[in-house]
Amino acid sequence: MAMESDEMRDFTGLYVLGALSPVERAAFEAHVATCTDCAAEVLHLSKVAGVLGQMAPQVEPPRALRDRVMAVAGTRGPRLATMGPVRAPAPPRPPEPELSIAPPSLDVQPKGRRSVGPLLAAAAALIAAVGLGVYATQVRDRADATENRLREASVRLEDNAKQAADVRRTLVGAQSELAVLTAPDVVRVELAGQAAAPTASARAFWSSSQGLLFTAANLPPLPAGQIYQIWYVGAPAPTSAGLVRPDAAGRVRELFVSPPSMNRPTAMAVTIEPAGGVNAPTGAMYVVGRL
Amino acid sequence: MLLWAVVEGPGSRARVPEDRQADQATLGRMAQGDPDALAELYDRHSRRVFSLALRILQDSPEAEDIVQEVFAQAWRQAARYDAKRGAVGAWLLNLTRSRAIDRLRSARARPDVADDERAVTELRDQGSTPDVQLLAVEQIGLVRTALKELPVLQRVALELAYYEGLTHAEIAAQLDQPLGTVKTRIRLAMLKLRDSLAGAV
Repeated sequence: MAMESDEMRDFTGLYVLGALSPVERAAFEAHVATCTDCAAEVLHLSKVAGVLGQMAPQVEPPRALRDRVMAVAGTRGPRLATMGPVRAPAPPRPPEPELSIAPPSLDVQPKGRRSVGPLLAAAAALIAAVGLGVYATQVRDRADATENRLREASVRLEDNAKQAADVRRTLVGAQSELAVLTAPDVVRVELAGQAAAPTASARAFWSSSQGLLFTAANLPPLPAGQIYQIWYVGAPAPTSAGLVRPDAAGRVRELFVSPPSMNRPTAMAVTIEPAGGVNAPTGAMYVVGRL
Repeated sequence: MLLWAVVEGPGSRARVPEDRQADQATLGRMAQGDPDALAELYDRHSRRVFSLALRILQDSPEAEDIVQEVFAQAWRQAARYDAKRGAVGAWLLNLTRSRAIDRLRSARARPDVADDERAVTELRDQGSTPDVQLLAVEQIGLVRTALKELPVLQRVALELAYYEGLTHAEIAAQLDQPLGTVKTRIRLAMLKLRDSLAGAV
C-alpha cells in the first residue's frame, strides 16, 4: 500500500503538467480523492505550471498581428482621442453562425508545417478584406479543418522530427556530460582489464549529483543474448549503474543517472550478464577499478 | 473537477492584485461586445502570449496564429469566464499552451496519434487554470535562476513536459531514461521551482 502511495506521489508533478496518460490520470485522480498529502502537493505545485508559462524569453509580437486580432471584433483597435468624446454604443456581438461557406481554396498541396501560417494568414486577410468580421470567429474552425488535411502531409515530416530528436538527444547528452565532468563531487575511476579481457580498459567519471559518464575500449564483442552491466561495488551489495553494448570496435561512451540513494561505492566493475541485465552480478568480470 | 473541489478550500484566495481586477473589468466589457476592451486585453497580454507560443512552436507565423486564436477565444468566451478559475493572464497563458501543444502534437503526426489526441483533450479540458498572478520582473529572474540551477536532466525533462507536451513515457524514451527516473525528476524539479517562488505567489 505504501508502495502504491509512493508511486502515486511521483505523479503529482506530471499531473499538474498534463503529462500523464489518460489511464494514469484517472488512477491518480481516484487516489487523490482519498489522499490529502497528494492533494495538497498538487495544489502546491499547480502554481509552478502557471509560472513556467511566464518563463519564455519575451518577444514583441509583430505589429500587424494586432490588426489581425482586432478583426475578430470587427474593428481595428481602440478609438483614438481624435474621435471625440462621443462614443457610439458598441454593437451587439453577432451570434456565431454555423459554418455555411466552404473554406476558401485551402486544398493546395501543403509542403509541411510551415505552410499552415500563410494559409491562415490568407484566410484571415480575406475575411478582414471582405469585412465579414463575423466569419473571423470561424478562423479557428477552419484552422482545425486545415490541420486535419495537413496531418497526412505531416507524416512525411516524421523523419525530420526524428532527426531533430536525435540532435536534441545528442545535445542533452553533451550538456549532461559537461555537467558530470564539471561537478564539484566528480571522481575519476580507471578500470583495468581482467582475465576475460586483458586488453580492455574503461574510465568512469562519477558524480552522485550529476550522474555517471562511462567510457571503455577493447571490450570483446558480446555473444547473442548477453550484455555488459556496470556496477557500483560497495556495501551492502553491488548496485547496477546501467547496461552497455560496445560498438563494433569495442568502444563505449555512455551517460547514466546516479542511483538516488546509495552508499559511496568503493569500486566500479563491468560484468557480462544475460540481456536485460540482472539485479546482482552473476557473470565474469571484464574490467574493474577502485574509487 | 472532483480533484479541484477537494484541494481548493473555501477562502483560499486572499490577495487580489489590481491588474487582475482590471482584467476582469475588461473581460466584462468584452462580454458586452466592446471591441476597445479586446484591444486593451491584447495590449496588456499579447507579448506574454506570443512569447509562450513562440517558445513552444519555434515558428513565428504559427505563434501568431495561436495568438489570434487565443484572443478570438477570449472574445467569444468572455461572458462565460469564471473569475474563480484564476487570473485572466494565467487563463490566457493556459489557453496558449494548450493550443500550441495541440498544434505541435498534430504536426508531429506520430503513429500513436490517437493516444496523443486523447491526451490533448485532457490538457484542454483540465478543469482549472493554475491560479497564479503574473510575476514581477525580479520574481521572474528568481525563477529563471532556479530553473538554471536544476540538474540538467531535471530541467530538460520538465521543459519537454511543459513546452513540448510530451507524456512522461515519451520523455523517458527521448532522453533514454527509465520511466521511474523521469517521474521522480520532474517532481523534484517542480518542488525546487516551487521553493524558489515561496512568498511570490
